Order: sequence, then structure tokens, then C-alpha cells
Amino acid sequence: MATDTVDFENTLQEIGFGDGWKWDKGSWWLVSPEPNDVRETSRKMRELEARFVAITAIERPDKEIRLDYQWDLQGKLLSFICATSAGQMPTIADLSPAADWVEREIHEYFAVDFTGRTSTDPLMTRPGDPLGINLHTEAAK
Amino acid sequence: MSYRIPIGPYHPALEEPYKLELICDGETVRDAVMHIGFNFRGIEYLAERRNYLQAITLVERVCGICSNVHSLSFCQAVEQLNGAAPPERALYIRVILSELERLHSHFLWAGIAAKLIGFKTVFMACFTLREDVMDALSAISGNRVNYGMNCIGGVNRDIANPQAVLNILDQMERGITHTIIPIFLEDKTVESRCKGVGILTREQAQAMGAVGPLARASGVSQDIRKAAPYAVYDRFEFNVPVETAGDVRARLSVHALEMIESCRILRQALTSLPEGPIHTTPPTGARFKVPAGTAISRAEAPRGEVVYQVTSNGTDIPERVRVRTPTFMNMATVRFTVIGQELSDSPLIQASCDPCYSCTDR
Repeated sequence: MATDTVDFENTLQEIGFGDGWKWDKGSWWLVSPEPNDVRETSRKMRELEARFVAITAIERPDKEIRLDYQWDLQGKLLSFICATSAGQMPTIADLSPAADWVEREIHEYFAVDFTGRTSTDPLMTRPGDPLGINLHTEAAK
Repeated sequence: MSYRIPIGPYHPALEEPYKLELICDGETVRDAVMHIGFNFRGIEYLAERRNYLQAITLVERVCGICSNVHSLSFCQAVEQLNGAAPPERALYIRVILSELERLHSHFLWAGIAAKLIGFKTVFMACFTLREDVMDALSAISGNRVNYGMNCIGGVNRDIANPQAVLNILDQMERGITHTIIPIFLEDKTVESRCKGVGILTREQAQAMGAVGPLARASGVSQDIRKAAPYAVYDRFEFNVPVETAGDVRARLSVHALEMIESCRILRQALTSLPEGPIHTTPPTGARFKVPAGTAISRAEAPRGEVVYQVTSNGTDIPERVRVRTPTFMNMATVRFTVIGQELSDSPLIQASCDPCYSCTDR
């Protein structure tokens, strides 16, 4: 195993979750069942000067939304996966201002309620437009 | 007394449709509120209702300037899922197209910046040089905007005559070194117009997740071509220009120097283009299925990192196509760059961030 790979795996240990991180198809992935881990992970990412990249929302069969939080740490992409609980997820926009627009967009497309935000103004749509425009149920209408 | 000045979504001071509300005390901007979404086309939604081959054509239309990087990133993600590694020659051609695209985008940006600075003759010079790049792209792909070059497993068209592109490159390099660099880096009028204007600090750039030349002008050095090389970028020698001042002049400098580096990469790629096929057998039928899974692809677009996440459920239609464009991250930084500045400087400051609203809104 290359030295830089070992060093990076040590850095992953600093973020936490033991050996949970797995490399596959362009990213290191970690699945967490606990929504509150999102904030703790974001805090650690900022401490490590990781760059916030994106949040990707994917609708699950049980109607909850899988959220993949992506960070760039030393040129490596990290994806932290967590699902909403009753359509809610704690915000990270206060910890990482870069996430503000992404959370607003996901709120519009997938009706995810990011708790703890002072406001969630429309970004792509306009006030009064329906929420969840990318959800399968909306598309079927 | 405070004034709230709405600019846009359609306004002579803006190159693209977005709306910026500037809160001013006299001529000084105190705060700014950005409104986007005027180009929203629901491309992610549409891509999840097309098959993979149709989706390539669709995502290329995310942007009319950096169209190639979108189809490239999408194809790279799908190639990770189905294991269709493109042949060497295809990877070189992808690099060549990417750098030509960067050059024409940077020439466009330089021309607009020159116009806003007050150098209309430089605007004409930049657009003349841009035409040379467009000619090269047209000669290779047959198209000037949406090139249709990328396919899953390689590229659709070969570069039959690399020497012809090298000849155009000679001409462009002369234009960059004789016109762009001296004016943007040495001219006193440009310096007085741009130095200290519209500063984005390194801390602000990091906090907002800024990418590309905008971030590199604020001391954030990352370039995906170096940090996470794709195609065959790791085979070429090139520098990543970085400035620390974070002002409009630093952005001019980074863009201008990046043009030279693009020419260096192009010269290396064109002179070492390996022989061989340009694709693995590309899928042609509508029933082209992709193994289930999720893959992420990143590429350095002219404005910075583009991210595509593609999730397959094993059918011929992607379950999820996520498109994260550079301007989506960069544009929120405009608020920081205009606060405390002269109202009359705000068009130049916004343009210096190189916004692309087709990309942002998708």
C-alpha cells in the first residue's frame, strides 16, 4: 500500500467511524444511520480544512431521502451518506456556509426539511411554488 | 440614506439572467442579495427520464460554453459503473477537447472583462482569438458549441490532423503572449481599475467552497487536473497559477496565465497523441443497461470543479443524475466581493467571478 494512501487512511480515522470508510468508484464512502452524525462530521471536516463539495439527494423506496454529503479532503472525495428521518435532517449551513444554496435546492426538489435553519428561501423556484418537484410522486402527477 | 437597487434579471450590466439586489449608502454597496433560477430547466429531472445515451446529449446542453466537460464527466461516471475503460487515444482527445474548451471560455471571459474595464479594442482582440479556438473545435468535432465528442467508452470522432490544430495553437499563443498577458498583467490602467477591487479572501473562498480560477485567485490552490487527475492529465507538465490578493486583478492574472498552461498541455497532447482506436465498442441501442451502483466523476471545467454523481438501478435509465457545477459554488461569493465597493464597480466584480447561469440553474 502506498505511503500516501496509508497517511490518508490515518486522516480518515481522525474523522471517526473506525474502518467504516470504503473506497469505491470515485469516492470514499461511509454510511451512517444517525442523522445527528451529519453535523459532527461537518464540524470535523471544517477542522481538517476539507472543502464542502455537494449534497446529493436520492429518493428511497420508503419515501425517505438519502443524502450524500460530499467533501474534498486533500484531493480525495469523501461521501458521507445519511437518510432523512420523517423527511427531516439537521442543517449544516451554519457550520459550512457553502451548504446553504444546496440545502435550499434540495428543499425545493425533494421537500427535505433542514431543521435549525433560520429561513429556507426559494433558490431555483419562486415563493408559492410547490415543494418536492423532483419527487417521483410529483412527477407522476 | 440607503437605497435598494434591483439589477436584473435582464439588465445591460449583466451578461446573463440573474438578479442582484444591491443595498447602497450613496455609491457604496453595503450588502447584496442574489436571486437565481431564471435558467432553470430541470436537467437532473429530465436526465432521470432518458436512457443513458440520450442523457449524454442532454447533459451536454447544461452549458453553452463548457458543454464538453458535462458530457465528459457524465461518461466518466458511467464508465466507472460499467467498466468501459476508454482507449489511450480517446483519453488524449478528451484532454485536447477540454483544453480547447478552457481556452475559448477564458477568451470569452477575458473579452467581457476587457469591455467592462473599458478596453473595447481588447474585447475585439479576445473574441478574434476565440474564433481561432472555435475554428479548431469545429474542425475536430464539426460543431462550435455542443461538440458531441464524448461517448461511453471513448470519443465519437478522431483528430485526423493534429498538425492543423498545432498551427492554430501557434497563432493563439502569440495572441496570448503579445496581447492578453501584457494588457492584463502589465498595463497601468488595468491595474488601477482592478487592483484592490472586489476582494474575496482565502477564508471566504474556503468557507463558501469556491472552486476554479476564482478560488485560485484567492490563494486556494486546488485544480482537479492535478489533485485528482482524470483522462491522462497526470502525463503532462503544467503549472497551476495561484494568486493571493483575491481581487479582480488576481483573477485576471490567473485566467491569463491558465491560457498559457492550456497551450502547454495542448502542445504535449497533440505531439504525443498515440495511435489506436478511439473507443471501446460504444453502446448503440436504447436498451443499453448499466450495472447497479453509484459512481462519482470530477473534472476541472474552465470555471472550476464539475461533479457528476450517477446512480444506476441496473436498467437503461439512470436512477439519479446529480450535476454540481462550479458557478453554483462560486456565485454566492459575489455578496462578499461587492460589499464595501463602489456601485459602478459591481458589474466588473461580478463578471470577474466568471459566472455561468446556464450551469448554475441547470
